[in-house]
Amino acid sequence: MTVQNPLIVSGDAMVGRTWAPARPKPRRPRRTTWAAVGFLSPLLVYLVVFYAYPLYTNVSLSLHNYTRATYVTGNAPFVGLDIYRQVIGSPLFLPIVEQTAFFVIVSLVFQYTIGLALAVFFQRNFPLSTVMRGLFLVPWLLPIIVSATTWQWMMDADSGVINRILGIFHIAPVWWLNADHSLVAVTIANIWLGIPFNLVILYSGLQNIPPELYEAAALDGAGRRRQFWSITFPLLRPVTAITLLLGFVYTIKVVDIIWIMTFGTGSSQTLATWAYAMSTGKGTSAVIKYSQASVVGTILLLIALVMGFVYLALQRRSED
Amino acid sequence: MRVGSIVVAAGMITALAACSSSSGSGGSSASGSASSLSTVTVWDPYPQNDATSDWAKYLAACAPAGTTLTRTTAATADLLNNLTSAVKAGNAPDVVILDNPAVPAAAAAGLLAPAKDAGIDTTGFDANLAGPGTVAGVTYGVPIGANTLGLYYNKDILDKAGVDPSTITSWATLNAALDKVTKAGDKGITFAGVAGEEGVFQFLPWFWGAGANLKSVGSDQAVAAGQLVSDWIGKGYAPKSALTDNQSNSWDLFLTGKYAFAENGSWFAHAAASQKFKAIAMPIPGQNSGSAPAPTGGEFVLAPLQKDNASAHYANASKVISCLVGKDNQVKTADKLGYFSANKDLRQAQIAADKVWTPWAASIESAQGRTTDLGADYTTTSANLSTAIQASLNAAGDSATVKAAFQQAAAG
Repeated sequence: MTVQNPLIVSGDAMVGRTWAPARPKPRRPRRTTWAAVGFLSPLLVYLVVFYAYPLYTNVSLSLHNYTRATYVTGNAPFVGLDIYRQVIGSPLFLPIVEQTAFFVIVSLVFQYTIGLALAVFFQRNFPLSTVMRGLFLVPWLLPIIVSATTWQWMMDADSGVINRILGIFHIAPVWWLNADHSLVAVTIANIWLGIPFNLVILYSGLQNIPPELYEAAALDGAGRRRQFWSITFPLLRPVTAITLLLGFVYTIKVVDIIWIMTFGTGSSQTLATWAYAMSTGKGTSAVIKYSQASVVGTILLLIALVMGFVYLALQRRSED
Repeated sequence: MRVGSIVVAAGMITALAACSSSSGSGGSSASGSASSLSTVTVWDPYPQNDATSDWAKYLAACAPAGTTLTRTTAATADLLNNLTSAVKAGNAPDVVILDNPAVPAAAAAGLLAPAKDAGIDTTGFDANLAGPGTVAGVTYGVPIGANTLGLYYNKDILDKAGVDPSTITSWATLNAALDKVTKAGDKGITFAGVAGEEGVFQFLPWFWGAGANLKSVGSDQAVAAGQLVSDWIGKGYAPKSALTDNQSNSWDLFLTGKYAFAENGSWFAHAAASQKFKAIAMPIPGQNSGSAPAPTGGEFVLAPLQKDNASAHYANASKVISCLVGKDNQVKTADKLGYFSANKDLRQAQIAADKVWTPWAASIESAQGRTTDLGADYTTTSANLSTAIQASLNAAGDSATVKAAFQQAAAG
């Protein structure tokens, strides 16, 4: 800046020369500013109407005591953080947080591991590999109502196909969807659902690793295992980070597959299904709890936000 | 630049807000008087009937002269939430048909116009069936018809196992029959234990049949009813999927022809009569003898609260409602829905005209309203009871768990 300023000053003096028309300071920037604002305003309005306003409403709902009646009249009393205290102090809260953590972490670990294994497997082109890779995308293409209902049937305690297969190996039938096992049941279904996403992203990440590296490593005598741990895995790290971050955000807000299989009963209740049940008066209780639901919604939002920052920090560290 | 954009954005928002509010209120009051004369909107909870169904055509014919009727349909739980938003926004439908246990909650939230204000004729309905329409002394609407629960049995399976259905008059005799049919290689009983009101509805005949009262859900009688259904799971009489089955799911299981009994609604009576196996209905037995009081099911026709041009909306609403449940049409409407008329005299004629209803005559007379004892508080009690039922089914017969679950329900 200090170097340029004298130039501009001298440029102003030499009217007509190269610098001058580019910087007629007082008026034009303003005009371009307005033009920029004009171009930006649709986006800004969109952001405000569809992002800022709902966020504001969510927080506002959580700070007022809304019931069905006060929602209609709009006279919900302001209660500050009372409902946050009520929700976090509820005996349901800690178990649900633990169940959510189990659902998210176990889902991510298995989805990523299986997705990566499949991506590496399909990296070698062999006959029918494209067709097989396509078949792995089926969970993604099926409507959730179809796949979740199918899982519910397969996990039926009395006549489900999974228990029948276990029977062949003389394993006692499991009551998959009861209170104790429902968390494991919905997690299994969710892992199956998330594999295609991991496969696709990791597979495209693998395509960006230069094949010369593998050739060089092979010449140096590195085996497949060594190649994976020394080339594939480290070079895939940025893709891994974004896959896990997106997977985390998708998984923590999953309602549909859990709801269709168990209505969030027993151990399969997560923060997301809990918020859904309270905000719509569905599940066990028809009592509508707008404020409590928005408290849980805000907590979910904060968790996702923290994960976003973790991702940014990781990215910055890898750039350094 | 940043400040500028914020100012612009703020300006746009105020403009938008102003625009939406003016078009909102202006629109509804300007078009309000016009539209209330030309269209009548009705919301019903029968999404199984699509736009081409008999029900949709029947309803459309109830449009007052000079108007057309617009029907919107959604599942019960969604309908109440949609109604909440609509009343808040001032664009509620003219008529809403709500499940009877939801009426006190809707009335308490100020969503409904009193029948007196809306000009709805509330006379001529049986007290046990019209009960849910009156909340804190104010009557809001009338039943569109009524249904209740009974015990269907597969006569072929009972014959094979040597069970005489007429001997089933108590829980002990029912359990003995279940034991016999399962020993003969068939399956026992299907019912809906799904979380929420539907599961509670199905549990109430056992609950009331044990002598329990909704005002004390932790009583020994309540525990006994929980133990009964818990044992069915534990002994394998009932499918474990009862935990998540709704009434349609459990009916589908019964229709496979492998189950001896099904607790289900009178609305399936005609479907039952057309099965390959002999499906016959009987009243649900009480714990010791005789039949248990079953809960009344069915919906109420109501006029939601209107903000603009209320009298024109109410005038149309009362015309549609009298078309649906007036003396001349009550049985026709009930028949369309597979329900009973909510008036004793009309119902007797209806039952006499169709022998499929014969086994249900006593059940519907003695049926009890779910919200009669508790009013709007029923919703909370039902939620606690639902948790206890779910815990009992999960316990698969373990009596300590069942007892604890109902005590927890009583504590809230």
